Amino acid sequence: MEETEACAKDSPLVLLKQGAEARVFESNFVGRRSVIKERFSKKYRHPTLDSKLTLRRLNAEARCMTKARKLGVCTPALYAVDTVLNTLTFEYVEGPSLKEVLLEFGLKGVVEERLDDIASQVGDAIGKLHDGGLIHGDLTTSNMLLKSGTNQLVLIDFGLSFTSTLPEDKAVDLYVLERALLSMHSSCGNVNVLFLIKWRQQTLLISHLVQYHNLDGSDTCCIPQVIKAVVIHIE
Amino acid sequence: MKVFNINGATLSLALYTDVTNSKELLESMQAGTLEPEVAFLNALLIPDVFPLLAAAHKTLVAKSRDSLTTRTLHSELVYNYSGSKHISESLKRYGISDNTTYILAARFDATPDEMKAIDKLINGKEIDLEELEGRANKSQIQKNYKISAPELGVSSLADAITCRIASRDAL
Repeated sequence: MEETEACAKDSPLVLLKQGAEARVFESNFVGRRSVIKERFSKKYRHPTLDSKLTLRRLNAEARCMTKARKLGVCTPALYAVDTVLNTLTFEYVEGPSLKEVLLEFGLKGVVEERLDDIASQVGDAIGKLHDGGLIHGDLTTSNMLLKSGTNQLVLIDFGLSFTSTLPEDKAVDLYVLERALLSMHSSCGNVNVLFLIKWRQQTLLISHLVQYHNLDGSDTCCIPQVIKAVVIHIE
Repeated sequence: MKVFNINGATLSLALYTDVTNSKELLESMQAGTLEPEVAFLNALLIPDVFPLLAAAHKTLVAKSRDSLTTRTLHSELVYNYSGSKHISESLKRYGISDNTTYILAARFDATPDEMKAIDKLINGKEIDLEELEGRANKSQIQKNYKISAPELGVSSLADAITCRIASRDAL
């Protein structure tokens, strides 16, 4: 209770999302619309361990978010880090998540041109992150936003990010995205198509891994195919 | 002059060009005789007020917790704006030197009288804060904050600085 009051001096807080690790509020930071992510303490952990883990993850998230920007990947601008309240304050990005966009495509039909653009942006962003040795850790379609107006892809939630140059870590990152796309697809309930996609994904996944081991480079050409395959079959 | 609200406190900013007495200002500031206390910043390194407001926010939070790193509230503002952990280097670069002619003056919770007093201290011409962007030394800013070309592809200069100010203590 005390914590929210301390934040509320800036402006009233509106709860946007509540997750297992953190709560996300909308607020205002010196005149700009902002998002506050508060990591709360876990009562089941030993207090000393809890505060150390929370602090370390808070700092890691701030570091990874700014590192991604340095690599040329669009993420919300970081406005403030508060290690006492365990909050991060960053830019409010206006726009739908990739998940919402893909579901809309599934309902209303695919806009081929837009899909191409999104897919290559996703591939480009992940390629830049991995080339720079940064693993996102939670690449799901809800963690990708498309800025209203410009359609610029913005990656959010670096809470599970870390730095690594191991091909395995990069492959797992891609695998998470693939699973996310697949699970979304299964929620649309077409089992036959799911089977088809699964088969396609398997072959794609192998090609990712091969590519990594040979080139240790970006995956820009594979990711768009993954996304397209899934969306086209949602229809 | 313009006043900004930050967490219930205010920050008053005034921008001056063609300043002729920066040497005296620096000396009286270092002697601690500056009245009222004020922060003088090298305005060439400020492309927008937003990063400065973020630094001010950080300063006020530290003040409320009695955890200032530098000796005064206003030197803390300059130090925080630098986005680096070297205090003396920050004050040298982002504060004023003997021959600075382009200065941004900043004071927390200033009364109108105090701002008039500050205006009298500075021998220069006051100009609008809108001029910050056009007059900023962009290449120097990029060099000081180590802002790469790919980053500027996805971010404004001001946002890149703000990120560095915010994430300094996390590094």
